[in-house]
Amino acid sequence: MDLRERLTNVFRYVFHDDSITLNDDMTADDIEEWDSLSHVNLLLAIELEFGFEFLQREIQDLENVGALVRIIESKLA
Amino acid sequence: MLTKNFAYACLTEKCELGLGAQVALHWINNDLTAVDYTYQDFEDSSNQLANVLAGFDIQAGEVVSIFLPRSEQLISAFFAIQKLQAMSCILFSTLGEEAMLDRLENSGARVVITKKSLLRKVLAIKDALPQLKAILVIDLDAHQGGQVYSLPQLLSEAGTGFDYQHYVDPETPAFLQYTSGSTGKPKGALHVHGGLAEMQQTIGEIMIIEPGDLYWCTADPAWITGLVYGIILPFSLSIRQLQFSGGYNAEKWMQILDDQGVNTWYTAPTALRMLMQEGEFTFSKHAFAALKHIYSVGEPLNPEIFHWGKKTFQKEIYDTWFQTETGCIMIANKPGLVVKPGSMGKPRAGIEIRICDDEVKPVPVGKQGYLTLRAGWGSMFRTYFQKDKEYQDKFRQGFYFTGDLAKQDEDGYVWYISRSDDVINTAGHLVGPFEVESALLEIEEVSDVAVIGVPDELLHQKIIAFLVLRPGETWEKALELKCRIHVSNKVSSFAMPSDFVITDKIPKNQSGKILRRVLKAQYDGTDAGDLSTME
Repeated sequence: MDLRERLTNVFRYVFHDDSITLNDDMTADDIEEWDSLSHVNLLLAIELEFGFEFLQREIQDLENVGALVRIIESKLA
Repeated sequence: MLTKNFAYACLTEKCELGLGAQVALHWINNDLTAVDYTYQDFEDSSNQLANVLAGFDIQAGEVVSIFLPRSEQLISAFFAIQKLQAMSCILFSTLGEEAMLDRLENSGARVVITKKSLLRKVLAIKDALPQLKAILVIDLDAHQGGQVYSLPQLLSEAGTGFDYQHYVDPETPAFLQYTSGSTGKPKGALHVHGGLAEMQQTIGEIMIIEPGDLYWCTADPAWITGLVYGIILPFSLSIRQLQFSGGYNAEKWMQILDDQGVNTWYTAPTALRMLMQEGEFTFSKHAFAALKHIYSVGEPLNPEIFHWGKKTFQKEIYDTWFQTETGCIMIANKPGLVVKPGSMGKPRAGIEIRICDDEVKPVPVGKQGYLTLRAGWGSMFRTYFQKDKEYQDKFRQGFYFTGDLAKQDEDGYVWYISRSDDVINTAGHLVGPFEVESALLEIEEVSDVAVIGVPDELLHQKIIAFLVLRPGETWEKALELKCRIHVSNKVSSFAMPSDFVITDKIPKNQSGKILRRVLKAQYDGTDAGDLSTME
């Protein structure tokens, strides 16, 4: 499974929605349940899935899914 | 004597008076683009929707639920429902499936109006709601079958005229707003069209909004504040207002406040506390020249926020107090009344409060007691829908017990102490421990649970869950995530515990009641007091 598939599964698990399909431009405005509280769940789930921990500076300006993918790629590199 | 239907007072009468073309709402999208909606726009769109609902044979007194984020469609839907003399029931779009089910089951909702991104939650519980006739989806292109209809398609076939009774019996049910109790499931406080006059009195008496002033209420309409002070009052009193479709965002909020020239701003202490954490630059680049008055509601306003607000905006923040059950502001600070920071202010004219003991006897000045209100004010809730016994239990000797503990000082100012029950007020949301506990008990690794609220600097109270795990289970990050996600999806994101404490046993009395004070003491590291009743 590639990174995007794994990330899609994380989103589907966190937001309890199997219809979620990610694209780079997607933001919290595109998923109704993606608020500041569930964002914490999302980050925690990503950390568990990919086996690393985010640094505060890495997550404070996450503008969309594309930015999230780039951070994960850099952490896994 | 008859009273104006909310829809007549807010829309139709405006159009009859020649104000149809006047802007009723300046809507600001999340990207800060804006759209203006006139009274006539809402009159027409609510007429169309009323025709659609009538097509589903919605009768007076039946419930139509609106499960949408704040939007112009939500407002149109509210008025359409009023025109049918049906009852609206607006639900937070963040509610999870079980929380939805509790509310839709209790209300017996016949129709749910929602959007595609929320449809999944409604479909998940639809089969448990035999009374539900239709699900109308505002952004679906075509009917889906299985009771799921495209609202645009239905609207395209509906007329913009709709005859309805402009004047109704004052006791005609108008809306249900759900609130949580310390035990059992959420309760729907029923409000009537006759409450309008009392609600309107609070503008002018508490909220000073001069003709032409721009007003902004930040509350979601699923809150009583958002419905009464964000829709009913600005519309019925022709107050120029804006609404922002996005949630809390410090930069955008300050930009809106300043650029739009907001004169009167009604917001919540949690939002103000979040703003307090922002850097100076967030505020220093704005002049807030138009801002005249700031009001807050939802949780007690700490003196620190009051002083910060005065420094940042050069304005006092007037804390106001009311509940879903009271329908409008009952106790408040206001311009012209010296503010005692941290106080709720004074009761409104005509509102009699009593700080009393269990026997409804007044306690001495300065002493803590139950905050009660003499029953009978116009905007008072009329019952808890389908739970009249619980409604009756809220009254003793003609006084409504609010569930808050307070004291009153020698000058008549009221000071909030805490809740007298186990309800948790987190960021202005009242959360019943029972709802969260029920969700957590569904997790297979959990064998027992108890939930408490503890003080929090940002949220007023945060939710703490004590868990007993089944033998062989261990607490790890993945299980914590599972618990958080489950509560979020079943109840709501705002009901998620901030902290989990793993324990061997939940303290209970001999009849099985959770001793929450023992857990609070355990969490705080303080003395739990008398433990003689513990099992």
